[in-house]
Amino acid sequence: MSTHVDTFSYDDAIVRKFLWATIIWGLVGFLAGLLIALQLANPIFNFDISWLSFGRLRPLHTNAVIFAFAGNAIFTGAYYSTQRLLKTRMFSDGLSNFHFWGWQAIIVAAAITLPLGFTQAKEYAELEWPIDIAIAVVWVAFAINFFGTIARRRERHIYVAIWFYIASIITVAILHIFNNLSVPAGLFKSYSLYAGVQDAFMQWWYGHNAVAFFLTTPFLGLMYYFMPKAAERPVFSYKLSILHFWTIVFLYIWAGPHHLHYTALPDWASTLGMLFSVMLWMPSWGGMVNGLLTLRGAWHKVTEEPVLKFFVVAITAYGMSTFEGPMLSVKSVNALAHYTDWIIAHVHTGALGWNGLLTFGMVYWLAPRLFQAPLHSKKLAEVHFWIASFGILLYVAAIYSAGITQGLMWRAFDETGRLAYPDFVETVMQLMPMYWVRVVGGTLYIVGACIFAYNIFRTWQARPKTYEVPMVSAPPLPAVYVDEHPAPVPAGAIARFTSAGWHRRWERLPTLFTVMVVVAVVVASLAEIIPTFLIKSNVPTIASVRPYTPLELVGRDLYIREGCFNCHSQMVRPLRHETERFGEYSKPGEFVYDHPFLWGSRRIGPDLARVGGKYPDLWHLRHFEEPTSLVQNSIMPGYRHLVERELDFDGIQARVDAMVMLGVPYGEAVRNAPELARAQANDVGARIVEGGGQAGMETREVVALIAYLQRLGKDIQQAGGVAAAPGATP
Amino acid sequence: MKLVDVMSASGLSMYAIVALLLFVGAFVTVVILILAPGSAERHRRASRLPLDDDSRPAPQAGSDNG
Repeated sequence: MSTHVDTFSYDDAIVRKFLWATIIWGLVGFLAGLLIALQLANPIFNFDISWLSFGRLRPLHTNAVIFAFAGNAIFTGAYYSTQRLLKTRMFSDGLSNFHFWGWQAIIVAAAITLPLGFTQAKEYAELEWPIDIAIAVVWVAFAINFFGTIARRRERHIYVAIWFYIASIITVAILHIFNNLSVPAGLFKSYSLYAGVQDAFMQWWYGHNAVAFFLTTPFLGLMYYFMPKAAERPVFSYKLSILHFWTIVFLYIWAGPHHLHYTALPDWASTLGMLFSVMLWMPSWGGMVNGLLTLRGAWHKVTEEPVLKFFVVAITAYGMSTFEGPMLSVKSVNALAHYTDWIIAHVHTGALGWNGLLTFGMVYWLAPRLFQAPLHSKKLAEVHFWIASFGILLYVAAIYSAGITQGLMWRAFDETGRLAYPDFVETVMQLMPMYWVRVVGGTLYIVGACIFAYNIFRTWQARPKTYEVPMVSAPPLPAVYVDEHPAPVPAGAIARFTSAGWHRRWERLPTLFTVMVVVAVVVASLAEIIPTFLIKSNVPTIASVRPYTPLELVGRDLYIREGCFNCHSQMVRPLRHETERFGEYSKPGEFVYDHPFLWGSRRIGPDLARVGGKYPDLWHLRHFEEPTSLVQNSIMPGYRHLVERELDFDGIQARVDAMVMLGVPYGEAVRNAPELARAQANDVGARIVEGGGQAGMETREVVALIAYLQRLGKDIQQAGGVAAAPGATP
Repeated sequence: MKLVDVMSASGLSMYAIVALLLFVGAFVTVVILILAPGSAERHRRASRLPLDDDSRPAPQAGSDNG
């Protein structure tokens, strides 16, 4: 063994940058959340401005809190802990800075493009293709930097927190690339490579694993580093943490289909998703117990140390939401909860509690170390803790009851066997008191976050003129692996296997380890996804289903631009109250030309899968102008700008061409899409005039959207389609 | 003949069983390795890695001015 010792320093400047980005984007994301909460409580908060409407801001909120706030928090903690756990500076300061500035530029691009309506319409993957490419490039830079650091490490054993980071980096890359495969139809418009059921499957494979590998595994890595640091004792059980890691990595990737219960997804896939989700409960609670019991013999510290208070409640919130997740994935529970606020309450237990509080605790712990000054005020940190916890409680309790209330109202029948609440808007009005309580709860959380930002700012102000950069020394790793603590090799094949010299070696080989993670993720993904894509019986075709006309296609793009799918589903589940309320249940074959799918995940307004032909064209026009003029108490914002803006007929051809590239049979529209669109627009305009509406609508955007809505659900009613179930006419 | 036809006709019901066995096998392997005799000391050392860093003790607050 070499006696040579290296002297080096850690790069904390990059950690400070990510820390500030976490705080700033956190405030932005929370405020966006507050605004959309207000919009649901009262639609005047949409201000009649297209780019401030709920449909466009809701993705801004989710992207800001997930990728900007939680993302920067992950990088803050990972850059700090990785260097120290591996006893080496980051591989390249240049790559670290490229990662930082690249990520912030992506966030700014998202904050501009989402309100403008540039979206792929897939939850948490809304950003359009040029930004998706930028994300991939920055992520690869991060990966090179991270794996380079591992290669240069001076500590042989790779601590479990790093395992969680590795799994996150690899899996997020795979998810991001495969879910975002699309064909561009212009600089800010693209169509998903997949259609209908397959697109839905891909999206929720991504969507659920974004929760898993962006909001869970990296934060577990942070927990396994910062909890022992704050408690000043090692993790309760390292063995349990290994089991936690491998079971999480093996199970999570299968769970996505539970987002699609009772939809047109094949039954076997959703059952599989449910089973794996239920199994996930165990490792999740193993992790929770492991985190909490790290405080064994140190519980008294929780009373005086706000950092530990944040950690304890964060880990408890992890436990609660990972119990609730498996429960919600059970089909019968899901039948009640799906499309309601229950899901919103569930994710906020996780986001506000687990991700938020863990981040706050981590930053309170880091700030004195990074800014080399004592924390400005422990008392303010305590105040923050209590305000935030109370805010979460109000938010979650109110939104749980909102979700269950609405779910029960949807399925209620009166004694004559008819829907007890046939007017959808009735079930929405019932939620208003809870929506206001949510506004109060969210405001409290934001007040807490402002106190937090102030506290960190004051700590920063007390920093020394120049930061001291302590030098660290550690011996380099020998080029060839030498087991410093060889265990005696027992006799017998089984004993030799379990003594596992190979495993110790293997754990220390990051490449092989990474390959194992990739195999775990890819095998699961393929076993679930390939059959849906490549076995015919999973998506039976329906002869009467035809592609959208050019005008309907551009109308669909407007539906996407305005974010209509954030409030309206297009998926009638085969449940009696749904077929009674909306019409015949949705079939997989109906969506074969839907690039992307627009099934939605939350019904703030009614389902639209069977809305075609339900109302006259003029009704839709008036409804877009002022929804409350037709539906009293509606919380839908007005869309006057659709009535005022001219439709870009010449841009339609490029969109049809992109669809043709995806294999949609467009026939004659391949050559003259704009003419066909104009002809259909004239028909819609004429019908509006006929009904007593204003003239001149045929050149406006609104006609395209009306044409699209009038088409929804019509195909299967035609001859050759599936016979409509008796009594289920839309 | 398209890939879809090939896949549809190839009777992949065994695939699920194979996947199940693989996963159970992986799980059992991890459990065995964790419970292997003689691993306790190794795990104890690994678990102390976060505490092994004394590069910068946190500055102590002289007085709480909050």
